[in-house]
Amino acid sequence: MGEVQVDQTDYQIPPQQGFTVALFLTVTDIERSVQFYQTVFGAKVTRKSLKGPDDPAYVQIANTWLIFNPGGGPTPDKPGVTLQIPDPSVISSFMNLRVADIAACYALWRSRGAEFLTEPKEKYGETRCYIRDPDGYIIEVGQSKPGFFEQPG
Amino acid sequence: MDEVQVDRKNYQMPPVEGITIAHFLTVADLKRSAEFYATVFGGEIVSTGDGDAPPYIKIANTWLILNVGGGPTPDKPTVTLRTPPDPNEFSSFMNIRVADIQACYKLWKSRGATFLTEPLDKYGETRCYIRDPDGYIIEVGQSKPGFKYG
Repeated sequence: MGEVQVDQTDYQIPPQQGFTVALFLTVTDIERSVQFYQTVFGAKVTRKSLKGPDDPAYVQIANTWLIFNPGGGPTPDKPGVTLQIPDPSVISSFMNLRVADIAACYALWRSRGAEFLTEPKEKYGETRCYIRDPDGYIIEVGQSKPGFFEQPG
Repeated sequence: MDEVQVDRKNYQMPPVEGITIAHFLTVADLKRSAEFYATVFGGEIVSTGDGDAPPYIKIANTWLILNVGGGPTPDKPTVTLRTPPDPNEFSSFMNIRVADIQACYKLWKSRGATFLTEPLDKYGETRCYIRDPDGYIIEVGQSKPGFKYG
């Protein structure tokens, strides 16, 4: 399924040891989301949704994996919690793509059908823009300016 | 700051080529959240977030970026960032896939993590959820041997 190495440690999904961090997205249409992340970012499908709409799909994208599922009401292991697609104007957490060349990524991903909220804009410490995914999630695209990570600590 | 390798490709933060994926969390208290993720999961605080710079915490194959919320910015004119407004409604969350869920449950609980329930059996996996200091849920799941990955 693809491996990750950090500090000489291998990461896999499913992990053979330790743990591997993925991002879960509640989506309306698994296949639509798979195609979006595949087309725009070149994500690799590592598990297809085979058994109907409740069967999750996994895609690997750079150093992590996305897990798509349609969500739903509470389950025995999360009583009271409901999973639903996002409110597009109020967001708490999001995927943050750190890039080496934001102008190139903006041009490439736009040519592949990504909708950006704006073109890349200068900000303290970085240049930044946002993509809206098919369910309304925002995806940050940011390029840090030289020296940003050289602060003490 | 650090490196990751996937399929013989190196990932760094910040990347020198291509892209590296992090997960952004809007939090109420930067220090409290940084300490939580560093303590419970053995995350490495690679940038402390002095001044206007947000903290970065390396955790396994990815990085968490923490920041306080706020209203629209020129590059996201209609979007407001806030801590989870309702702890019972989520759209996306960090999903930690583990090799030994009983060991993780014990260890992370001993380090102060609050779990919604103990690990429970489900189709294809054993699963439980942690509640972070801002109310985010974090899935912890161990896939069963027969679970087909494509």
